[in-house]
Formats: sequence, C-alpha cells, structure tokens
Amino acid sequence: MRAHSLLTRRLLASTVPVALLLGLGAQPAHTDPLIGNVLNSYGLPGGVDTPTAEMLPDGTLGGTVSYTDRARRHNVVFQLHPRLTTALRYSRVEGINDHNNLGHIWDRSFDLRFQFIDEQGWRPAVSVGLQDFLGTGVYSGEYIVATKTITPNIRASIGIGWGTLAGKPRTIDTEDNGGKPNVDEWFSGSARPFGSITWQVNDKLSLVAEYSHDRYLARYLRPNGTIDDVRQGDDEPDSKFNFGAYYTFNPSYQVGLYTLGGDTFGAQFSFALNPRNAPFPSGLEKGPAPVRPRPAPSADPDGWSGAWSADPTAQPAIQTALGKALKDEGQILESMALSSNRAEVRIRNTRYIQQAEAVGRTARLMTRALPPSVETLVITSNSEGMATSSVVLRRSDVERLENTEASRIAEAAQLVDAEPRPDGLVTTPDLFPRFRWKLAPYLELGVFDPQDPLRYELGAELKASYEIMPGLILSGTVRQRALGTMKQRGPGIPGQRGEHYTPEEYVSNPDYEYFNGVPRVRSDTRMYTGSDSPTIPELTLAWYAQPTRAVYTRVTVGLLERAYGGVSGEVLWKPANSPLAFGAEVNRVRKRDFEDVFGFRDYEVTTGHVSAYYEFAEGFTAQLDVGKYLAGDKGATFTLTREFANGWRVGAYATKTDLSDEEFGEGSFDKGITISIPVSWATGTPSRDRAGTTLRSLSRDGGAKVHVNGRLYDKVRDAQSVKLYQGWGSFWR
Amino acid sequence: MITSRIHHAALSALLIAGLAACGNDDTGNATNPLLIAAKAAGGTVAQMRNEKAEPAAPKRTPEQMAAEALRVNPAPLVMVGFESLGRTQVMAMTGQNGAMRTFMAPSEEALILRDGMVVGTRGLGNDLSVAEPGTEALIRAGRPGSAKRVMRYYSGDGLERPLSFDCTVGPGPKAGVVVESCEGHGTSFQNSYMAQGGHLPVSRQWLGPKLGYVTIQTLRP
Repeated sequence: MRAHSLLTRRLLASTVPVALLLGLGAQPAHTDPLIGNVLNSYGLPGGVDTPTAEMLPDGTLGGTVSYTDRARRHNVVFQLHPRLTTALRYSRVEGINDHNNLGHIWDRSFDLRFQFIDEQGWRPAVSVGLQDFLGTGVYSGEYIVATKTITPNIRASIGIGWGTLAGKPRTIDTEDNGGKPNVDEWFSGSARPFGSITWQVNDKLSLVAEYSHDRYLARYLRPNGTIDDVRQGDDEPDSKFNFGAYYTFNPSYQVGLYTLGGDTFGAQFSFALNPRNAPFPSGLEKGPAPVRPRPAPSADPDGWSGAWSADPTAQPAIQTALGKALKDEGQILESMALSSNRAEVRIRNTRYIQQAEAVGRTARLMTRALPPSVETLVITSNSEGMATSSVVLRRSDVERLENTEASRIAEAAQLVDAEPRPDGLVTTPDLFPRFRWKLAPYLELGVFDPQDPLRYELGAELKASYEIMPGLILSGTVRQRALGTMKQRGPGIPGQRGEHYTPEEYVSNPDYEYFNGVPRVRSDTRMYTGSDSPTIPELTLAWYAQPTRAVYTRVTVGLLERAYGGVSGEVLWKPANSPLAFGAEVNRVRKRDFEDVFGFRDYEVTTGHVSAYYEFAEGFTAQLDVGKYLAGDKGATFTLTREFANGWRVGAYATKTDLSDEEFGEGSFDKGITISIPVSWATGTPSRDRAGTTLRSLSRDGGAKVHVNGRLYDKVRDAQSVKLYQGWGSFWR
Repeated sequence: MITSRIHHAALSALLIAGLAACGNDDTGNATNPLLIAAKAAGGTVAQMRNEKAEPAAPKRTPEQMAAEALRVNPAPLVMVGFESLGRTQVMAMTGQNGAMRTFMAPSEEALILRDGMVVGTRGLGNDLSVAEPGTEALIRAGRPGSAKRVMRYYSGDGLERPLSFDCTVGPGPKAGVVVESCEGHGTSFQNSYMAQGGHLPVSRQWLGPKLGYVTIQTLRP
C-alpha cells in the first residue's frame, strides 16, 4: 500500500473510478499502469530531471513551469492513452545565442513515453521514451527505464539514456529546418545509466534524489563546418546528484524546489486536471421534473380513447405548454407532430453538454404534457434547423424505468435517422426570426515568438446573430481593441533571420507577398493584428439544409475569417448510427485587406477537401482531409482527437503537402495541438460554452486552410450514436 | 503625451474590466481558456467563503420550518438534514411514480425516495444517480440477513459508475431501529431506519462519499 498524495489520489481516480468517488487511498489493480505523483522539470512523471516509468491517469491534462538559471521550461502534458504520455515543451534555454542575439534561445520540443510492462509482484514497470524527438534539438535523447515500488512510500527507478540523458548531446545542424523525426539518431551513440528514488514522506510531501548524466551542453554544427559545444547556463553541474522536494498544496497543484548538482537551484509549479474529476461531477443544474404516470383508463376515458386528437385546438395548446416547459430546460421546441398515439418533438439543445440529458428531460416533460393515448415518444435533435437524429421511446418504458440504471432505458430506446420533412410537423409560432447578441471583453494571446514570448490584446467584442429561420443565420463579430502588446508586423525578411518587414515596407512591394514562389497566405498573419480601430473578424450569412436523410449541407458567404472572405460550401454524409462519415468542402476565397475591414487584396484561390471521419472506441476520432490548400498546394491533413464524455477534447493534427521542406521553411510541415474544455466542467453550472485554444508549431504558408465557422461534422454529431451513448449516463440527471 | 496614452490605456482597462458580459445569448460560445481557470478558482473561493459564512447565518429551528411548511403546503412533506452540507430543509413531493416519490426543495434540488428508502438525488453536484438496495425487503421486515447494495453515481466524464457494497441488516441499539451495515471499496457506512409496518418514516442514510449522511423524517406521509 503506497500512501498516495492527494494529487495522486485525485489523479488515480480515472483508472480507478471508485477511488475518485470515495476519496480514499485506494490501490490501482495490478494490471493498471504505474501512476506517478511527481512531475519532473520536463513536465512528465519522474525525478528531478530524469524520467521514471510512471504514467499519469488516463486523460490527465497538466502543465509545469520549471525555472533554473540554466533554463525555463513550460511543459504541457497529456495522457493520451493509459500507457502513452505526451508532452509539448516551450523552453527558454540560457547561454545559447542564435540570430536573435538574446543570450538565450526559445525552443519547442515534443516527448512521448510508453509504458509497455506493468509493475507486478517483483517485476517493475518499464517504459521507453523519446525526448525532443521531432528534429534534433537541445533536449534530444531516448531512454528505457524501470520503476519499482520498494516500500509503500518509496519508489526506485533505474534506466539507461542516450543523447542528452547520457551527457552526449546530438549535433544540431543550424541549417536544418527541423520538425521531422530523426529516426536514425534514436538510441544511437553511447548510453549511460541514470536513476532516482522518490520518498513519499506523507500525503503532501515527496523527496527525490537522483543520479543524472545530463551535462547541460548543446552541440551545434555551424554553416562553416565547425562543431561547437555550448553550455546551458554558466558551467556544467558540479556533481551528478540532484535533489528535490515537492509539496502538493491542493489536490491539483504542486510546487517543487530542487538543486542540480548542488550549485544550481530551481523552482517549479505544476497542475494536473483530470477530465473525469470535475469539481461537481453531476453538475449543479436543478433537478428535473419527474415523470407523471398516466391515470388509469377508467379515470380518463377520453384521454385514452384518442378522441381528443380530432379537436383542432388540442395540438396548439399542448405545443405551447410543452414549449414553455422545455424553454425552462434550455430546450427550444422548434416543431412538433402529434397524433392520437404518437408525438414527435424537434428540440434545439442550448444548455446541456450531454445531449442525453436534454433528451431525458424532454422525455419526462412529454409524460407530463401529452394525453394518455400517446404511447410513442419521438425526440428529434435539431442543430441549425437540421434534424440530426431521433430517439424513439415507448412512454410505458419511460414510466417503468424512471430513475433506474441508465443502460436499461438505453436498451429500450431506439436511435434512428431523422426524417428531414415528416408529415404533420407544425412549426412553433413566434420563435423566428431570432436575434441574439452579446457584448463581452476578449483576450487574445500570442505565444512562440522568441523576441516577444507572450503577446496579448484586450478589448471589447460584440457578437450578434440574426436567425431568419432555422438554418438561415446572419452572424457577425465586431472587436475594439483597448490595450495590449500585439502589434502589426510584416513577415520575416528572407535571408535576414530575426528581421521583419515593417507594415509599410511589406505593402509597398507586391513581390514580398511571395516567398520562394509560395504566396504568403498565413505567414503574414500578424499584419492583421494591432489595429486600433474596430475590426470585423467575421461577418457571414450561413444556410444549413438537409436534402435527404443523413445528408447535410452548408453554404457560407461573407467575411469568413480575419484573413479571408468569400464563399464556402460543404456537404456531409453522416447517418445517426454510423461511426463513419464522408464530407466535401469547396471554398472560393479572397485575401482580406490588412486595414480596411471590408476591403480585399489581390490574392484569390479555390481550396477544397474531401474528408473521411471515423469514430473509434474510447472517444478517439480520426479525420483525413485530402485536397488543395490556401497557397494552392495539394496534400492531406490527418487529425486525431480524443474526446471525453464530459466534452473535453484534445487533438493533434499534421498536414503534409507537395511543398518541399525548403519551400515550407522552419518546421518542415504544419502540425499542431487543439484543446477544448467545456466551461461547465469547471463551474458545475450547465452550459454549452467551451474554452479552447490551438497550439500550432509555426504560422507557415504550406498546408493552411480557411477557418470557416460552423463546419457540419461538429454540428451534427452531438445527438448521434457515439456521442449520445457516450453521455447516456446523464439521461435521468 | 505618454502620460495621456497611459491614462487612456488605464481607462480602457477599467472600462473593459467593468464590462461584464451582457447580451441575450448564453449558448455555445467559445471562451478564452483563462476564463475557465478564473471561474474554477472563483468557484472554490466562493465555496470556501460560504463554508465560513454558513454558521453565522440566522436560522429557524427545524420545528419552525416544519410547522410553516405543513401550514402552507398540502403535499406530502419530508424534513431532510444534509449532514455534510450542514443544512436542514423541508422538501415537498413534486411527483409520484408508483411507490417512488420525488421531493424537491424550493431551490429545485431533489431527493427521490421509495417509501422512505433513498433512491437518488438531483442537483447537489455530487448526485447519487440510483441506489439499488438488495437489503430493502429485509429492512422493511426488520429481519436480519445480508445482501448486496449497488449505488450508482454520475461521474465527471458523463457516465454512470456503480459502487457495490456487501451489507448486513440487524437490530440496532434501540428497539424499533434497524441498522444496515455496508462495506466495500475500502469504506463502510451504517444506515439506520425506524421501520413501522413496512414503512420507513425516520431514517439516517448514506448518500455517497462526498454527500455523506442524510437524515430523513416524514412530516406528512
């Protein structure tokens, strides 16, 4: 029995749901991966600098800032799979000079760790890891490490490392564009051992001692052919022993103090959020109205006979009453079809992350509003006027199974493709046109610029939408900057690293809008920032339609995004019960003016993709787009997203087009990470708001897409099989 | 010049800060990640403040609350004390489905009972989705024995997760009290019931790890 810290306990919860619920120091079963509770200075479970074989609980998203006078590392860690830890790092490495001549460099790196043997009996857990493996970087190295629980409070790790971990840094070619795995260097060169011991003093405090061969060197191949060794910081660490103390002061937060070789001191702060571990797991929304069982036939013979359906005033009265009750639940009753034994409601969910919760609450309200002869309840989920699925329930099942295990009502329910235009559907009057607006502050952040690592802009944003009828929406956004450090700036000047065109220079010569013959479609993005006058990031008219079952279409016209305007058309085939979907998108766009909100520049292009989507088990979704991108380059984008039932989404994408590495420039191809977290997860209050960001490697011109809002795949999926059943546990919530 | 620019910036900052979001659109907005962190932190602070402020709030006695509720509300009523929340309130029946009754507080938090036996809770943030007490018949009959009890919870990832306990039912320290002792998942709890002719008018039952115990007293059956 290892005494887990609060952090671990909370983190453990995902592999062991019971521990989460009980808040007890429960043990993971032996078949589970070994979970760590100290994050090292690279942001992964480990000692001070060295890795261990430990993992984080599945789905954990964390961050670490680690600071010494050798480096400042900002790490984002994500447990992609119970056995696979991924980390993205943005480090300020001291003592190294590059073209920016700052006395330090800013360096991005990416790590993977895979635990391939579990701890069991005398057998330790064993992991293999790749550190900074996309291109040769300052931290490039590989390792194999074993971790064993010695006593309940002590864990020991021992491993062998290559590259940086062996004190043999890889040679960095300053001419290389980087960004691609250098497979032939992996596990090459001489290897050295490393090890660590972690003593869990009590729930809050852990002490770590380690032996590390990292000499804090970087090795460069200069253009003239010489190889230099450069120190990170002033000199090498005095000894190979490092020590650290880590204190968990809140279940999700940890601070640490450590020393490298006794002469360098460091401090670090880390946090870890687990999607399965919401502050209010069931949400704080009020209790639902309970089912109202039907009276005995003898008590209401008229209601049971169905004779009421001949009365023309019956449906309008029922529709009004039900619409009002649904409105209190954040559901818009867009239309309804009613006969003596069947009722279909078409709802738009504006409140609950889980469509199943919206469906469950609607089903209960239907039992309260409909005459007894209605036995078949059909709940159709609408999204932008498109009917994306129908849940068919028997009213007697709803009555019989209320507040029982959610899987029982799932078995009794049927999920089918919705009929786009069924007979007898009556639109609820007075819902449309619908005008919505919102005035709120906005904050925009810019990172990954070595000369200005964190840029920001703060201002006011007015968003408005005018929905003429379901599916036909005029929407726009106006922003007014108030203050910030974001400035307008041209792209880098070719051949003069670290130098950029001024905005005036950049617009003075049309040739500057091409680089190596490739039009600058994204690398001049910062020309669009820093304006003191109002900007219109988006102003569009969108039309969504459903020509036939399972086929959805969208046409969007207007200012699609900050940099492009034009027309975008999309079609998607996605049956309600199919994990597979196909789509196609064509955009004819023109580059917008840098200053004039309604003006355009000369560059015009047609882009388009055909896409295939597949929803795997455990919330993984894969998407493959093949087509033509903004710069006229042709290629493909692969995106893998992991989505948890509570709406957390973490994804990674990579795009490779027919541009050569040289034409593309630094990074070689486009890749990035997207993170999206529903606000309700943190606050407990029901809402469909999301907080999200995309971390892309660099703004380059290859593999760039137009950012069109309202893509069909995300509009359609919420009420379809995979996502609906993933959240089905909320049906009776 | 510079000063005026700083003034201008400071003024704008104030204006922006004062610009709490307003509008009639509260759905589906993309939000900055910092907001979520701020909201989470704000929630914790508010919670801590509430925890501190709670004891100071003037309170009516349970007897006063019961008397008033019986006067104004004709529906079946229960008096419910959430021990972990330090809160006692009267809840009124809002629906009945067979033997299952849903009781709600004015804040629309709900407690679902089957003739006195807790079936579930709603709206408390750490809700019990459904309890399946295999011990129910023993308890109502006041008969000793043992059986399984399954408690299902809404977990943070939108699923329903079951906990299964081994329970034994036996007489309590006082006459007329039945005690159900349960163990499992490294924890244990004891529910006590006053069983009268198969009904459970008074009881103290465990809702779950976060919510702890609740005491339930029937005011009007």
